[in-house]
Amino acid sequence: MPETVRDYIGAITDVVQTFWQGLSVTLSYMLRRPITIQYPDRTEKRVADMLPARYRGFLEVDLAVCTGCLACARACPIDVIKIAVDKDPGNPKQRVITQFDIDESKCMFCGLCVEPCPTGAIAHTREFESTVRAVENLVFRWVPDAAKPVPFYRPVKGQDAPRAPAGSLVRAYLASQVWAAPVPDWAAPAAGRDKG
Amino acid sequence: MAEPVERRILRRTSPSDEEIVINFGPQHPSTHGVIDFVTQTNGEVIRRSIPDIGYLHRGLEKIGETVSYPGYMPFTDRIDYLAAMLANEGYAMAVERLLKVEVPPRAKYLRAIAGELCRISNHWVAVGTMASDIGASTPLTHALREREAINDLLEELCGARLTFNYARIGGVSFDAPEGWREKILRYLDHLDSYIQEWDRLISLNQIYVKRLAKVAVISREKAIAYGLCGPNLRGSGISWDTRRDLAYGAYPEFKFDVPVGQGKMGATGDCWDRYAVRVLEMLESSKIVRQALDKLPEGEIMAKVARRVRPEPGEAMARVESARGAMCYYVVSDGSEKAYRVRVRTGSFMAMGIIEEMSQGLMIADLIALIASLDVVAPEIDR
Repeated sequence: MPETVRDYIGAITDVVQTFWQGLSVTLSYMLRRPITIQYPDRTEKRVADMLPARYRGFLEVDLAVCTGCLACARACPIDVIKIAVDKDPGNPKQRVITQFDIDESKCMFCGLCVEPCPTGAIAHTREFESTVRAVENLVFRWVPDAAKPVPFYRPVKGQDAPRAPAGSLVRAYLASQVWAAPVPDWAAPAAGRDKG
Repeated sequence: MAEPVERRILRRTSPSDEEIVINFGPQHPSTHGVIDFVTQTNGEVIRRSIPDIGYLHRGLEKIGETVSYPGYMPFTDRIDYLAAMLANEGYAMAVERLLKVEVPPRAKYLRAIAGELCRISNHWVAVGTMASDIGASTPLTHALREREAINDLLEELCGARLTFNYARIGGVSFDAPEGWREKILRYLDHLDSYIQEWDRLISLNQIYVKRLAKVAVISREKAIAYGLCGPNLRGSGISWDTRRDLAYGAYPEFKFDVPVGQGKMGATGDCWDRYAVRVLEMLESSKIVRQALDKLPEGEIMAKVARRVRPEPGEAMARVESARGAMCYYVVSDGSEKAYRVRVRTGSFMAMGIIEEMSQGLMIADLIALIASLDVVAPEIDR
């Protein structure tokens, strides 16, 4: 507590003075350019295209260069990636991928699956917008039809795998999906879920 | 089942007719996460306040026993999500000691740069939310804007803004991107001058100072007795910093000061001292990053580590200076691919212990100042 009248007045002047110091900083922002951008539709480019190249968004798989080594599925600490491999019935020497599912709703985008991939088939993209009607639609099925399996890719020595441009596949995949799509047939019926 | 804290406090203190027991939390905006402060008050004066923790317990130590060694790295992000880089580094160091792997110098420097940037971003949240808890809402928006700039830098480095998962066992996951150095230096130049504007905006505001000065003074002896660490310990005037006194990684090669509370606004160890230590630490981190960028050696960023990490049976401990004080990882291996035990010791948990004693006789509004000045993060308390 102030002891003298002078201390008391001094405290009030201090408060008023420092208060105006702070307010002058606040007021100076009236004259500065705002740093915020208006997501999603008032930006010059799509927000996904403004992100840095290393951004860890949706995973994308280029099955054309997938060797079926399962390194990504093993690296995942929370079992997001589900891969099934089989022998080609027509050609027993050829092995094929019959299922390659990534549950993007469960994925924590840590990037551990990308690092062991020998050909760069699995990679993060800059796409991140994941609004869908049913959460099952976030399971990305990179082999859409188990009846049409994809053969293993055999790496050629001294030659980079011909991978599709990063992000092109996931954009095509997302374009083929509709956010308001109904729950897929393969999903187990959940009690009380809106089937719309 | 343990007895609920409310009942325990009632039984122990048998409050008189004038006293009530209120639950301050767990969903209160100024508790910094989901913590419940069971508070016995007589009007505005607190008789005692006991933190009831555990609402954010996710069993992160147990998860360490169920996933592989590299697979645990993303979970360390979630222990302290405001300073994930530093939590990553601690776990990586512990496993590296188990494996007896030497980290390449470039990786050590990159860890130091990323870690110090992360410390600055954490301290921005700490000082911003502190001002907001005291009742000044503008500084928080400024602090978050500053933090966004660092998030942009770290996003460019590792692809994530919050849960970085940057360190790896034996190194780091990415090398510095093109043009990163210039961007960091530009930001640090801005930071060094912006702190003055920040001081004018809030730090030296007399209303703010009077709310914090001489409130909840933690003496040197008490700080040591309760095992406080990091800025909370230094706020009480004790010059102890793991980065300097138990130097690890690239830190022996940097020159920096360790700011301590000096009681400029009243008493050493009051809330304002703890606040000021954080503001000054940002400038020290800025110095470290500049030195690290100047000395950044060329070379590998990963040591040779087998993909399937299988350490010899044994145990290892690593201690890093996280943004909330010394963070220890203790990892026990039984020779398999999964750890036998992972133990994490965090600064926020230690800070919880002192609240019961410090809260006695405080006003309710001052309890908020105390909690804010300790800069606790709920997931780090509960893990």
